[in-house]
Amino acid sequence: MSRVLRLLLVANLLGLGALVFMFPNLMVGPGRLIPGHQQLETDCFACHQPWQGSSAARCAACHLPEQIGRVTTAGAPIVRAKGGVPFHQELVEQNCIACHSDHAGVRRFRSQGRFDHTLLQAATRDKCQTCHQAPKDSLHQKIDGNCTSCHQQSRWVPASFDHDRQFVLDRDHNTRCVTCHLRNDYSRYTCYGCHEHSQAKIRSEHIEEGIRDFANCVECHRSGDKHDIRDGREAGRAENGHSEGRRGEHRQKEKRHGRERHDD
Amino acid sequence: MHESLWRQHILPFVLLLGLLVAATLLGDYLLHRMNLVWIGRYLGIPGTLLIVGSLIYSARKRRLIASGNPRTLLSFHELGAWLGSVLVLIHAGIHFNAILPWLATAAMMVNVISGLVGKILLDRSRRHILGQRERFQLRGLSRKEVEQAVFWDAVTYDAMTRWRQVHIPIFVVFALLSLAHVLAIFLFWEWR
Repeated sequence: MSRVLRLLLVANLLGLGALVFMFPNLMVGPGRLIPGHQQLETDCFACHQPWQGSSAARCAACHLPEQIGRVTTAGAPIVRAKGGVPFHQELVEQNCIACHSDHAGVRRFRSQGRFDHTLLQAATRDKCQTCHQAPKDSLHQKIDGNCTSCHQQSRWVPASFDHDRQFVLDRDHNTRCVTCHLRNDYSRYTCYGCHEHSQAKIRSEHIEEGIRDFANCVECHRSGDKHDIRDGREAGRAENGHSEGRRGEHRQKEKRHGRERHDD
Repeated sequence: MHESLWRQHILPFVLLLGLLVAATLLGDYLLHRMNLVWIGRYLGIPGTLLIVGSLIYSARKRRLIASGNPRTLLSFHELGAWLGSVLVLIHAGIHFNAILPWLATAAMMVNVISGLVGKILLDRSRRHILGQRERFQLRGLSRKEVEQAVFWDAVTYDAMTRWRQVHIPIFVVFALLSLAHVLAIFLFWEWR
């Protein structure tokens, strides 16, 4: 290597070295910082601890955990148009970079600000109404808490409500919710929403069997199979006056019908 | 009709270089397609290790080490540096962030090209020009006519000889820029 070339090489490398210290954000920084941190572009060590990275303690020096979501670092109150509640105070661990990245080049590889309920402390995690408001529909307005019996914490829908426990939606009942739950009122239902079950026909069939209390169909019929008469809600039965005698009578009549059919 | 130096030697060289670019684009495409872009972030490590490992040949050539078959080590140098370069290029990807690592990547590419020139072209080109000269002399052409006939081949060869001289200085630049990039990563990386 010639002497001139060697000198040129050294001069270039020294120049590059100087540029690294003068413009670290451009020379070694992995992309632009988020708008809120742009004043720190050339001050890498404001967030990074040499050889260790950026610690939560450094973030917390400006972003006090008890103030996150409530007031800005400048002290101005945060007003949220779309609702939302401060939750950083309830996190299991203050590990900022698990959810947040500041550099554009790093943000491409990480999902940003993706909330996960498992990050919350156990005591807070199960109190859904601390952060969420119950939906305004009539079903949810009648329910107080215990959201996780139907809903998952990762997704609101699909809810794990098991309709079969109330009534089996077989192929004859594979219909839209409003057919039975008028106006999407899930606290009520009607079996007269389709052409198959008219009030007069049902009445006549039950009276014929000596059953006069047939207003609450699913109390006895838990599926479309009219011979599947189940022992249902013990408490409900007592309240509704739907006596065991009457149910037994109903069941015996059904058995008799079945036997008659077999005899045919 | 004699085959030109371009068609016989430079074209294969361009194709080999094109293969490097194609392998990079394919690797990058597959990582994006399979949603495994994060792997690309770490391909710089095996890439660098392969390139550093391939330098055993350079050490053997300069007698810094005494053992090892030079021919085998040269093959390893060529393969290791080529494959390492592919991994580093995929690592660099299409995301333009800091300038320093891109300068290191550019230096690496110049280094790869100068290395390929050394590997493929120089020796074969020298033999090609000598063969052409002999053939023209056997046809009874005068010395001046022979020189005229191989003029452009000789110019191309001369240019390549100079190009190869770039290999070592550019390697020094590449090594220092890469070292600076690695140091920056160590300095700022989130280790916990």
